[in-house]
Amino acid sequence: MIGFRKFASQEWAGLAAIFVLGSALAAFLSPSFLTEYNIYVMLRSASVELLVAFSQMIVLAIGQMNLAVGALGGLVAVLFGAMLQLLGLPLPLAILIALLIGIVGGFINGLLTTRTGINGFIITLATGSAFTGINLGLTESRPFHGIPVEFVALGDSRWSFVPALLWPPLIVAPLLAIFLYRTKSGRKLLAVGGNMRAAELSGISANAMIIVAHAISGGLAGLAAVLAVSQLGAAQPEIGSTWLLISFAGPIIGGTALAGGYVSILGAMLAVLVIALIENMLVLMKVDPYWVRFALGGLVLVTVGVNRWRAHQMGRN
Amino acid sequence: MRLSIVNVSKTFPSVKALDDVSMEFAPGEVHALMGENGAGKSTLLKIVTGLYRPDAGLLKLDGELVEFFSPRDALAAGIGAVHQERNLVPRFSVGENILLEHPPGRRGFIDYGAIYDRARVLLELLDPGIDVRAEVATLSVAQMQIVEIAKALSLNARVLLLDEPTASITDHEAEALFKVIARLKAEGVAIVFVSHKLDEVLTISDRVTVLRDGRVMASGEAIAEMSRRRLVSLMIGREERIADVAGGAKQGKVALELREIATSYGHSGINLRLHEAEILGLYGLVGAGRSELARSIIGDGRITGGAICVGDRPARIRNPNEALRRHRIGYVSEDRKGEGLVLSHSIVSNIAVTIWRRIATRLWLIPPVVERNAVTPQVQRLAIKSFSLDQTVDTLSGGNQQKVSLAKWLAAKTDILLIDEPTVGIDIKTKVELHELIAQIARDGAAVLLISSDMAEMITLADRILVMHNFAVVGEFVNDRIYENGSEAIMSAIHAAEKDRKHLHDRAAIA
Repeated sequence: MIGFRKFASQEWAGLAAIFVLGSALAAFLSPSFLTEYNIYVMLRSASVELLVAFSQMIVLAIGQMNLAVGALGGLVAVLFGAMLQLLGLPLPLAILIALLIGIVGGFINGLLTTRTGINGFIITLATGSAFTGINLGLTESRPFHGIPVEFVALGDSRWSFVPALLWPPLIVAPLLAIFLYRTKSGRKLLAVGGNMRAAELSGISANAMIIVAHAISGGLAGLAAVLAVSQLGAAQPEIGSTWLLISFAGPIIGGTALAGGYVSILGAMLAVLVIALIENMLVLMKVDPYWVRFALGGLVLVTVGVNRWRAHQMGRN
Repeated sequence: MRLSIVNVSKTFPSVKALDDVSMEFAPGEVHALMGENGAGKSTLLKIVTGLYRPDAGLLKLDGELVEFFSPRDALAAGIGAVHQERNLVPRFSVGENILLEHPPGRRGFIDYGAIYDRARVLLELLDPGIDVRAEVATLSVAQMQIVEIAKALSLNARVLLLDEPTASITDHEAEALFKVIARLKAEGVAIVFVSHKLDEVLTISDRVTVLRDGRVMASGEAIAEMSRRRLVSLMIGREERIADVAGGAKQGKVALELREIATSYGHSGINLRLHEAEILGLYGLVGAGRSELARSIIGDGRITGGAICVGDRPARIRNPNEALRRHRIGYVSEDRKGEGLVLSHSIVSNIAVTIWRRIATRLWLIPPVVERNAVTPQVQRLAIKSFSLDQTVDTLSGGNQQKVSLAKWLAAKTDILLIDEPTVGIDIKTKVELHELIAQIARDGAAVLLISSDMAEMITLADRILVMHNFAVVGEFVNDRIYENGSEAIMSAIHAAEKDRKHLHDRAAIA
């Protein structure tokens, strides 16, 4: 019983329950839900979204927002495609450079934020537009198709219902957890988000931590872009253009504090899975895809409302 | 370690916060730093902890010149501080907060076991009841205070600054803290203790320095030779120049009456009558509960007992909006930058905010010309100095900002005005202007409740004075506007209340 109460007190417990109940409901409503292939499709679409959610989460951790996650992802995707198709670089090298481009893009965001003292929201709004501009200027909205066949095949491969693309986020998640909860740098980063003044009075350089958070965010956006290219089989300029909502919905539904200082990695993962589940259910039930977006928006509002109510209740006790 | 402050001055755009201040904190001594709000204590602490740089003067540690460019420099030099505002990371554990400066661990990884062990040792001395693994957000305010003290102790500071460490903790917890202070003192730490509680200061300190208006009134005098009475007079002092305010306006009907009021802030049994055309002074030392009473009256704090009457009708005021619209009561906050003004907005919109509702047309539009015309007479009456009415308020001097925050209530033409510390941090000339203005407001028929810690101001302006202490009214007298009589009456009321309280406290201790 104590074990159950401890479980129920976790922010992600509700999401886990929703995921289990939702799956049961979906299986009941549609016989095609519990097929190996359907679950694989669902998890494959969640793979990129998990990394996108992590990318936003790390910036939320310092109490800022990154509006450039999608734009940076798009830019990395087309540059990755160009490296493969135009320059003929070997795949591992191209992936490495793509991740570096992501990190550098995030680093620029962090540097501009700390140097100018302007809120990261505005800085990333501007750099996001700039990244998209470079993307479209270089590609003239044409995708690069010259992606090595084995890399595209990797995007389609699976073991039973587990897509190969799920591995990168599954490896990143514990690394992030170790970084944020076990290393000094990670703790400093969260301390800056939790109480910037206290952190500074304790001798922590807030600026350094803000730059680190943005750089990690950029690297994760880059990794998400590489996965997206593998999944789609082409480096399309539109990659990233739909990431904005999921990037916030994942962490926030998962219990990450908007004000900074607290993240729930497991919560963000479950939230992304719940969203993928809802999308999947609506598709199976042949609901118009436009309404899927409506449902997603409603879900964000409801969960944020519930979290606020919970915080209020806890404050009373 | 001996910390010397030598001829330090610091000026802010509107006020000289510190004026050629010198003092010395010796190892193995508890040194109390006292003064009313705006005396310059906070500025001094900020200079010593590296948050501000002095305009002139210098700091010495054991005779050697030191310069702090950031809080880190001060920490590295062995100066630890427990600030008034909470400096904890809410979602971190108690242990991690205590050791935030230098968490134990290897190769960049944190060793939580070591954190909890070391934090437990530090907390053992203060309050073993606090779980080092608990999240700080779940603690009470008093417990958070203890955690902050533990945090300062963890640094092995040789100079420890405590800014009102007992403001929010219980007597029991304070006792434990004083034991720790005694132990640190025996170990040769120089302790600087800022407090408004006279009892505490007289009990635990060895020396006292009193600041007033940025100047040193008494520097490091031995506490044994300092009487309570002298300490109070040094803190309160008197002003050189006094506005020429003819008293004795014709008092009208009762405008506001409180009967046996109790509040969620902790007031109890408050009785008060405020008449039309009267200035009723509410005097008390910092922490007496005056602002909190004013806030409760306008509904920004809960009334838990008693009755309020506005005019001759009982009133239940649930929020400041009701206070203004229905009962015509305005509150001029003591915190003009935080609560009184929208600094980035123009003079016009800052003043007109209280009357937008009245001047709005049927389509809810506010014609700029109407707004301007409504505001202009107030600006002229108060002689607010500005290039244009559209100038943003943050570009004005402190005195002119205060005039704007008063002007908005004049524009609202409220019947009852609660004015809280109207002249803190304001130059003498503007102060006199504001005094004359407040007198004029009352002469025009408004009922004014004036809260002030400035005794000269109180005696200049008030028709009657209520003395508050520890959230209760402890004295009331008609002010004859003779300084000696007024200050005598106020001080004896406070002393009597202190004596009563001490007496009660001793009796409780015996029982």
